[in-house]
Amino acid sequence: MRDVAVVGLGMHPWGKFPDKSVTSLMREATDNALKDAGIGWRDIEAVSAASSRFSGGKGWGLNGNDIVEEMGSTGIPVYNLSAGCAAGANAFNVGYMMVAGGMHDMVLVVGGEKMPKGFIQTSGVEDEYDPEYLRQVCVGIPGPSFWGVMCRQRMAQHGTTEEQLAKIAVKAHKNSVHNKYARFNKEFSMEDILGSAMVSYPLRLFEICPVSDGAAAIVICSAEKAKQLTTKPVWVGGSSVATNSFNDGITRGLAGPVPPGGKTFHSEAASAVAQAMEAAGTTHKDVDFIELQDNTVYYELCFPEEWGFWDAGQAEHELEAGNTTPTGSLPINPSGGFLSFGEATTAQGIFQIVELATQLRGEGGGRQVPDAKVGLGQTLGLGGNAAAVVLKR
Amino acid sequence: MADRIPVVADLFAETAEGPRLTGSKCAGCGAGYLPKSEVCHNPECDGAKTEDAEFGPNGTLWSLAIQDYPPPAPVKFDQPYKPYAMGFIDLDDGLRVLGRIDVEDPHSVEPGARVELVIDALAHDEEGNEITGWKFKPV
Repeated sequence: MRDVAVVGLGMHPWGKFPDKSVTSLMREATDNALKDAGIGWRDIEAVSAASSRFSGGKGWGLNGNDIVEEMGSTGIPVYNLSAGCAAGANAFNVGYMMVAGGMHDMVLVVGGEKMPKGFIQTSGVEDEYDPEYLRQVCVGIPGPSFWGVMCRQRMAQHGTTEEQLAKIAVKAHKNSVHNKYARFNKEFSMEDILGSAMVSYPLRLFEICPVSDGAAAIVICSAEKAKQLTTKPVWVGGSSVATNSFNDGITRGLAGPVPPGGKTFHSEAASAVAQAMEAAGTTHKDVDFIELQDNTVYYELCFPEEWGFWDAGQAEHELEAGNTTPTGSLPINPSGGFLSFGEATTAQGIFQIVELATQLRGEGGGRQVPDAKVGLGQTLGLGGNAAAVVLKR
Repeated sequence: MADRIPVVADLFAETAEGPRLTGSKCAGCGAGYLPKSEVCHNPECDGAKTEDAEFGPNGTLWSLAIQDYPPPAPVKFDQPYKPYAMGFIDLDDGLRVLGRIDVEDPHSVEPGARVELVIDALAHDEEGNEITGWKFKPV
């Protein structure tokens, strides 16, 4: 396997852009990434793209083809990756493998999404054989209520308070003030968060991520190419993709086994993180900060514990001690996270990696993690998909 | 005359012993399935045969949330919208299953509550027929 460098970062801001197509959002992100890398479109040898769930792609998730047509049809190979909300990071993994495996020297990874209004339907099909359709039609548990069920269980087990949940959202928005790409880059008070509408008790509107439009792009290349482009490349330590295990305690369809010991949750995320860290030769102590999928504040509490950074029940103490802020002992989501960006579902995994690299370059401005050397990113998606990446400088 | 129409066929039934979820079970490792599965999904299990099985009625509420806003399609509910509680229930026979909680005040139930299976209306259609599904009632 060859070393792989991240040399180009490109973002389109997250927000609502009714007058732009998803392809134009992706083009702006791509243009920015090419410019950042100091290369042109004709230097790109292959594209690995996230398949959008809601927009463009000719209805087939062919968003990688759309961006190639938009930039100029050079005849290069295109891979369109579908993995629910983990699609962006899955696409990064495929791009990474193409460069690491020696197939290509210069690859574009890109994802964009334009989201419909309001709370999203998780299942796209009216099919009584589809487990996600059955969950909704037989019971009715949209995403926020699923997160609420998980969060309530933690509250019962560890005594997490509603104030602690709100503190996580306050922290996220404090970080976002320094991120021009975030949709809501202003501070929110405890009163703002606790005063927002209850969506799925115990979770409030400002404690779950809204839906946004957005796009992100990354240029990755071989070490040889990186040397020609920059003196300070950021390196991919590890990139991994995983799916959930049979005994996972989170029921994906209508029913599943009661897990032995009752403790295995989000097994796909834990597995992807462990594999990325192992590939990077990174210990928990080495990780300087984490960008994790905060669809809801609950995930900031459970994930670091489930991945071995903290003991079970330790998260609330770390939060109260301020250890998850950019200057704390384990900064989480210095970007402002999904809470500040909103979720442009399939683009999220790529925006996270842009943030990792921005921090490692020391270009985080007011949200910079001091002397960041190693960053961990993680996303997960419908279907039991997860992806993780470790970047190093 | 209004009818009772199951929201999806073959997932639950009123049996002589009371309401049951109607799924299947692996003949090898005993893993339960709802809906029925033709094969066992347990990668540790080589047993290829599954057989019809009934689940319920007793279990423990693992956790729950309250759907405070009207959910998007295809969720069934009557107008005017009334928030409902739903969660994961660990049935005594080893299946963790999703279900609504059958209570007047959704805030009156806590994780750990003992519950039993009931068949009840999720919503009504335009002709006044009951669209029925399974719920869990605290005992």
